[in-house]
Amino acid sequence: MAMAMEVDFSDFDFSGYSTTSTTTTTEDDVTCNWNDSSPVIDWDVFSGDTDGFRGLIESMMSDPDELDIDHMVRGDHHEYSSDSLSFGEPIQNHDSVTTSNTSSDDSNGLRLVHLLMAAAEALTGANKSRELVKVILVRLKELVSPTNGTNMERLAAYFTEALQSLLEGAGHVHSKQHHGGTHHSISGTQNLHPTDVLAAFQLLQDMSPYVKFGHFTANQAILEAVKHDRRVHIIDYDIMEGIQWASLMQALVSRKDGPPTPHLRITALARGNTGRKSIGTVQETGRRLIAFAASIGLPFSFHQCRLDPDESFRPSNLKLVKGEALIINCMLHFPHFSCRAPNSVASFLSGAKSLNPKLVTLVEEEMGASDEYGGGFVGRFMDSLHHYSAVFDSLEAGFPLQNRARALVEKVFLGPRIAGRLAGIYRTELEGEECCWGDWMVGAGYGGVGISFFNHCQSKLLLGLFNDGYRVEELHNNKIVLGWKSRRLISASLWSYHQTSPLTSSDSDVSC
Amino acid sequence: MITPMTIHEEHDEPSLYDHNDHILDWLEDTVPFLPSFFDDPSYTTTSITNPTAIVSDITEEFQWWDDQDLIIDPNLNLINPTPTTPTTTTTTTTTTANLLPPSQPKKRKPADVNLEVNNQRRRSVGLTKKSTVKSAGNNYNNCNNSKEGRWAEQLLLPCGVAISAGNLTRVQHLLYVLHELASSSGDANHRLANYGLRALIHHLSSSTTTVGPASSIFASTEPRLFQRSLLKFYEVSPWFTFANTISNSSILQVLAQASKSSSKTLHILDIGVSHGIQWPTLLEALSRRSSGPTPLVRITVVNSWISDHSYTVSPFSIGPPGDDYTTRLRRFAKSINIDLEIQQLNTHPLQTLTPEMINTSPSETLVVCTQFRLHNLNHNTPNDERTEFLQFLAKLKPSAVILSENDAACSCTQCGNFSIGFTRKVEYLWRFLESTSCAFKGRDCEERKVFEGEASKAIMSEIEMNDGREKWCEKMRQVGFVSEGFGEDVIDGGKSLLRKYDSNWEMKVDEKDGCACLLWKGERVSFCSLWKLN
Repeated sequence: MAMAMEVDFSDFDFSGYSTTSTTTTTEDDVTCNWNDSSPVIDWDVFSGDTDGFRGLIESMMSDPDELDIDHMVRGDHHEYSSDSLSFGEPIQNHDSVTTSNTSSDDSNGLRLVHLLMAAAEALTGANKSRELVKVILVRLKELVSPTNGTNMERLAAYFTEALQSLLEGAGHVHSKQHHGGTHHSISGTQNLHPTDVLAAFQLLQDMSPYVKFGHFTANQAILEAVKHDRRVHIIDYDIMEGIQWASLMQALVSRKDGPPTPHLRITALARGNTGRKSIGTVQETGRRLIAFAASIGLPFSFHQCRLDPDESFRPSNLKLVKGEALIINCMLHFPHFSCRAPNSVASFLSGAKSLNPKLVTLVEEEMGASDEYGGGFVGRFMDSLHHYSAVFDSLEAGFPLQNRARALVEKVFLGPRIAGRLAGIYRTELEGEECCWGDWMVGAGYGGVGISFFNHCQSKLLLGLFNDGYRVEELHNNKIVLGWKSRRLISASLWSYHQTSPLTSSDSDVSC
Repeated sequence: MITPMTIHEEHDEPSLYDHNDHILDWLEDTVPFLPSFFDDPSYTTTSITNPTAIVSDITEEFQWWDDQDLIIDPNLNLINPTPTTPTTTTTTTTTTANLLPPSQPKKRKPADVNLEVNNQRRRSVGLTKKSTVKSAGNNYNNCNNSKEGRWAEQLLLPCGVAISAGNLTRVQHLLYVLHELASSSGDANHRLANYGLRALIHHLSSSTTTVGPASSIFASTEPRLFQRSLLKFYEVSPWFTFANTISNSSILQVLAQASKSSSKTLHILDIGVSHGIQWPTLLEALSRRSSGPTPLVRITVVNSWISDHSYTVSPFSIGPPGDDYTTRLRRFAKSINIDLEIQQLNTHPLQTLTPEMINTSPSETLVVCTQFRLHNLNHNTPNDERTEFLQFLAKLKPSAVILSENDAACSCTQCGNFSIGFTRKVEYLWRFLESTSCAFKGRDCEERKVFEGEASKAIMSEIEMNDGREKWCEKMRQVGFVSEGFGEDVIDGGKSLLRKYDSNWEMKVDEKDGCACLLWKGERVSFCSLWKLN
């Protein structure tokens, strides 16, 4: 009888970041003192701690020696001796369950984590059982809703939804999900009203530094790279509504001690019908940018470059002008597309090598190294759960009283993101190893470009506008990472490629 | 007097009893396993309590239960007497008399008769009904054969493994999930999760705290509910009925051989779990016996010894204190002119029984009938209580021993670690819960809870020491018994019995020891075996 996924919680080191990484900010340690809390399992003590998930995870990986089985038994004893098991009537007495168990949000959260993990275990691995996944998902749906409840409950609702679509997708193995597993339940954003999406985007900008951190860091690096150039050409993998470029344009026209204002050209990659269109088409974005450039007096032109139907990138489709400084801009974090197919990103980044770019700016979500979590789908799943719970927590800290606003942001950006992430790691489980794009860049021959002190300071300044829980740290010298408390969430890294002499900077043995 | 015996054969088999085809139809029409028969009060009123000949026969036969509200299935036939024609009733209702051809059975429900005058048509309807019922039973509640649907085991067994491996983090994770999915009233998987979770927590906490057994166990059940549950369960599941039927017909077989030696007394040593329900049909058959005089019947019941922890003893063996079935049995015996003596041994564990307590004499035909009790006896050296007890039985010089037991590998800690034993107990309980769920058509009711709760003791107990039938047979041979094959009637009776139940039940006869084996979905459940002294 082989055990399902051999995930030993004692190997889970969710709290390890603050000690293993070189943090540039330490003032947050106060808020992280949950690391020191007693790991003794106590079925009832998870009360009052609003940072529930961390406590839950912590309890799941508690030292087995201190596991308080006796307490557990005593705590449940009254339920066992009563005629009807108050905990155990998920089918018939659905109502009584939900009422009797909402007494403690945190113990509820703990069981959600256990259920989600069990579902992930049953979905893959040696003992996979679709029947078990179904039963667990039925139970989860009784417990959670994406619009109601605690952070953990809403988060669990999105994970439940994502698992459900994996389960349904797993039924037909041959239907390859080319676009990162965008199936019906994920495509919720496409049904959203455009104003909702815009509102959510605005809220996300106001509530958190996630949008600006990536854009500002990339833009600052671009400004520094093209300091002496007369012509700048940016190839943008996912331009969305173009909000990244307004600030760059302003900076270009106001640069003082350099050459005159350069000519800026932006080529946006355009896709077929697979993309999210609610904010607007690439053409509209182009018109908006042209109008804005004209208003500030920046010489500007806008182009599109269509991707192949399978979303792969063909450099020959680009119009290039000799002498222009070429910038490759690749934004993969939210609110950008939730689930770009890895092949598409890879074709873009490898195709870009032939263009001899001056700079590649890459912003992506930081995921834990898979081996740190026991590896495999379950390990990555738990890592993702941890990751997005930190995002949920940070949004709550940003807008503590605006539940509806947060719910909208979660629905528009995080739900699809979670679905895409799980589809990605599920596909990885089936098809082979995944790695972060930073690793991939090194493997593809890119070399790191150092992030300037000024750029680093600027990101710190940005975070100062938001909650104390955010932190930024520098990893290697070409990458800065935005984190929430002890969890790394988004990284921005800078790269370049030289065909003749590949610059593999010795200090950039990137491992993310 | 109704003849409860009913032999019928599959249509594709050459049948000795073709002339009894109409009995088959009658059986199908009254469908003992149709729950509506019991759940619908109006049906009950019209069909059962009406003073028809059928009803009076039934109530007469089962009046020993002394409970007017109990509905007795006339097909609850725990015996297979020799084939007789079904013309034991001379009374008929007026409606049926007018409509039926002369050969029609008298016990058809009037409604059916009105609908089905034509034999041919009736037969086809009966077949249709049968197939409908069976397929409903098969479709219900994951009653398919795939292991995939058995999700509760996917949590319970890894948890057992983790306990054996000392991986308590893993254990806790699985307990959490089980806790969320367990239910005492869901489908068989939810119930298995429920009982399995109790057992795991009981195991993990046994040093300091104890978890009581399921709230519904025999010993704590109100006596009338207990009796109702017994009847209901025996009627919908062959789990015990099979052993009872095989045993009763074996006793008749033994008696037929012994009657030549002019023994006047039949003494049955009852070490079983039937709580008396096994005996009325035997007594009734004895009263109708054509060969030889009706013997004096003595039944010595060895009740389970009640310890402080009632869940540590074999499941199904301890009834509620107020269940006085012996009085009812005596009354019933009297009503059919059988001399019956019942003696109960209440305070003696099996290990301490002596021949004096049994009080048998050479002039009696002594038959030891032991069912689902001996597996509680320790089988490990140096205290091999099991062999000792079988030796004790041999000393009684019985005419026959009918041994019925679970056919399962041992789950004690000496035969494997906790995980192995737990796995075996889970498998046992799964077969019980799944077959019972199918038996009750997935419906929840008190009677079902009582039996399932009692069965769950098997997974709680640390001393359930089942053995495969090969080992039991080996032990029997060691103490001087030789196996005696079951007669053809016995085997046929077992087969025809199973036709009344879910189609996943199946009977096989073991060539080597002549055991009659009961299987659920192809997996061993129990066996009956007949032994005599060498």
